[in-house]
Amino acid sequence: MRNDKKLIIGFLTPCILTLFIMYLYPVARTLVMSFFRIESVTAATSTWSFYGLGNYAKIFHSPSFKSAMWNMVRIWLVGGILTLSLALIFAMILTSGIRFKKFFRAAIYMPNIISAVALATMWIQYVFNQDYGMLNQMIRFFGGTGVKWLGTDLKFWAMLFSFIFGAVGYYMLIFISGIEKIPADIYEAATIDGASKVQQAMKITMPLLKGVTKTNITFWSIHTTTFFLWSMMFSPVDTEAATIVPVVYLYNTVFGSKGNSQRDAGAGAAVGVVLALIIVAIYFVMNRLFKDDDVEY
Amino acid sequence: MKRSPYDRINWKRELHFLPGYIVLIAWIAFAAAFLLWILAASLSTSREIFSGNVFAFKTGLHFENYAKAWRQQNVSRFFGNSLLYAVVTCVVVIFISAPAAYVLSRYKFFSNKMIRSSLIVAMSIPAVMIIMPLFSMTTRWGIKGRILLIALYIFSHVPYTTIYLLNFFATLSRTYEEAAAIDGCPPGKTFWIIMLPLVQPALVTVTIFNFLGVWNEFFMALIFANTEKMTPVGVGLLQIVNAMKYTGDYGGLFAAVIIVFLPTFVLYLFLSERIIQGVTGGGIKG
Repeated sequence: MRNDKKLIIGFLTPCILTLFIMYLYPVARTLVMSFFRIESVTAATSTWSFYGLGNYAKIFHSPSFKSAMWNMVRIWLVGGILTLSLALIFAMILTSGIRFKKFFRAAIYMPNIISAVALATMWIQYVFNQDYGMLNQMIRFFGGTGVKWLGTDLKFWAMLFSFIFGAVGYYMLIFISGIEKIPADIYEAATIDGASKVQQAMKITMPLLKGVTKTNITFWSIHTTTFFLWSMMFSPVDTEAATIVPVVYLYNTVFGSKGNSQRDAGAGAAVGVVLALIIVAIYFVMNRLFKDDDVEY
Repeated sequence: MKRSPYDRINWKRELHFLPGYIVLIAWIAFAAAFLLWILAASLSTSREIFSGNVFAFKTGLHFENYAKAWRQQNVSRFFGNSLLYAVVTCVVVIFISAPAAYVLSRYKFFSNKMIRSSLIVAMSIPAVMIIMPLFSMTTRWGIKGRILLIALYIFSHVPYTTIYLLNFFATLSRTYEEAAAIDGCPPGKTFWIIMLPLVQPALVTVTIFNFLGVWNEFFMALIFANTEKMTPVGVGLLQIVNAMKYTGDYGGLFAAVIIVFLPTFVLYLFLSERIIQGVTGGGIKG
């Protein structure tokens, strides 16, 4: 048994050290930082001064943080409805017995494995380009006039739609795995009883997908909370109210942005804590809403 | 619903699926059209791109866009850095995670459950909660350069890799260890030469995901890669895009986009089934 003990300790130590160095200590320190007035991230602990909930008060009064939160909510709600419905529709089509299922599935999932920076660059530099862009060329082909997709009014929606285009495939795969677990004989029985494909989708598939829907909503919520890259890509030089999200706000507060050289690591930590709390709340609410009453087949 | 390729196509049946085909084909045609356009643009001059006809190739195929992007725009360096980060991370993570996963799946001891749950919690901790202390810590200790990003990537992939491998080790029969023990093989050696090779399919899948994860990582790279020498492809591409105002080299920009896009795309062409299985955890059967 002594030998076992040595093996366990030897094999586990690097993993446990990782947990401490990369997660436990940084999370604890960020939590503490959010209650202190700290200017620079690298400031020594001795220069911190206790601030109570001051950092939280500061961010919740900041107009940029408010628009960041508002954008996040819009991405979550509008983007969530669109992404999850498209994903569900694709999943249902792909599991209906269609040909080339594997090809379609792989092609729709493909954007998820590509560098998002490359993907966003393709959208910004080509699809949404005002002069030679794909959308405007299509509009001109049908006799319309080009639209300024990346102007302040439409930028948010341009960002959201291009993000959704890439995200759908992931949620589709999760829906597919849920649908494939439903036994085929339920559908056979329904077909014999004369239920149409649409009726089967509404009355059989949807109710039985409760579990994977929970997974998908949880993942989507976390995905939106940590939304960063697309916002950064759509306003690369200067952060704009149209596309700002909480993580971009945090990045600018901690590391400074173009128009604002004032840095505030304490406020940044407070943003991080708020986002982490949102994620905890999501897990809690989702587990409450969808109790584990899994159907037995 | 398996069909052999020799079945006659039942047109009536296919007609029934027509709306489905239309939706899928429209979606994919859009993606294909814009990928082809980017590819064509990467072989055109900036003037051709702006006049809107990149498929004419009136002045020939400008492969020099790639050469220019590779050398002048520093893409070779970004590419090399990302490759280095991804390869080193993939290898080292296995050496940290596989032994831990094995011990957690095989031995009962106090704190086993706690370590497992900590790993799962660690997987869902957002990067924003950890970057600030990591930044001050590494600055204070003077850790910088490529080794810094490599270390961060290794650490940040340990929880996922350990949990993934743990499920596979749990499916292996204990008879292997028993037989090895009877033959006098110490448990440590049993792990490295018998048990680890048995989970090879899982090692491959998790390594693919780790590779994609590092290659496509952006947030930590943006914060920690503060010298050009250590910039990986994501942040590098952002720098090229931001410099476009001054260089005006659109052909080179699209060539850079294609260079960044290709490695994971090619990987996907060969491994898409495996990756898709891995996403939905279908591989847990081993």
